[in-house]
Amino acid sequence: MKNSIKVQRAIWDLTQEALAKRIGVSRQTINSIEKNKYVPSTLLALKISRVFQKQVNELFELEEGD
Amino acid sequence: MDKEQKDLLLLPASFRKIAFGIMILSVLYLLLREWQATDKSAIQTMATSGFLTSLLLLAITKSKIEDERMTKIRLKAFTGSFIYAVVIVITNPVVSFIFGDHYALDKRVTELLISMFFFYFIMIFILKKSQ
Repeated sequence: MKNSIKVQRAIWDLTQEALAKRIGVSRQTINSIEKNKYVPSTLLALKISRVFQKQVNELFELEEGD
Repeated sequence: MDKEQKDLLLLPASFRKIAFGIMILSVLYLLLREWQATDKSAIQTMATSGFLTSLLLLAITKSKIEDERMTKIRLKAFTGSFIYAVVIVITNPVVSFIFGDHYALDKRVTELLISMFFFYFIMIFILKKSQ
């Protein structure tokens, strides 16, 4: 699953640390999600989408084989 | 914190300091044993229990930021250390046969538990770095 969190962060001028603080996770978790090493839960995905004011499926996209 | 994290019933992060305190005291107590002429086995038993208690506290204490990724890592490490202990016990007869009883861990529960805890902490460290 790929995501556009890094792009959205750049648009909103947010650091990984700032985003992590806003949704109550560690900076490493945001880094892992951005690098597609960790797939967040629905709850976390919804929290991220709320920060960026986007639908979840606009931020996360299924890849071939998912 | 979501429901899954609450279900784990982990201790607050402040318990980490208590755990390290107990660990230091246990090690000091164990060193003290060398200069004590009295019952050494009693001192060793108390120090070992203290050391195990500190490791248990460290294992079930929340990290600074306990999020869902950390919960997942923790569960993987718990599973890994459980499998490690079972494999040690299963393979023990072979190890005893080849290397002798000195290397057998299954009869020495304390050593098995300590190695299990270390396996758990190493797994958490590796998973934190790799994920």
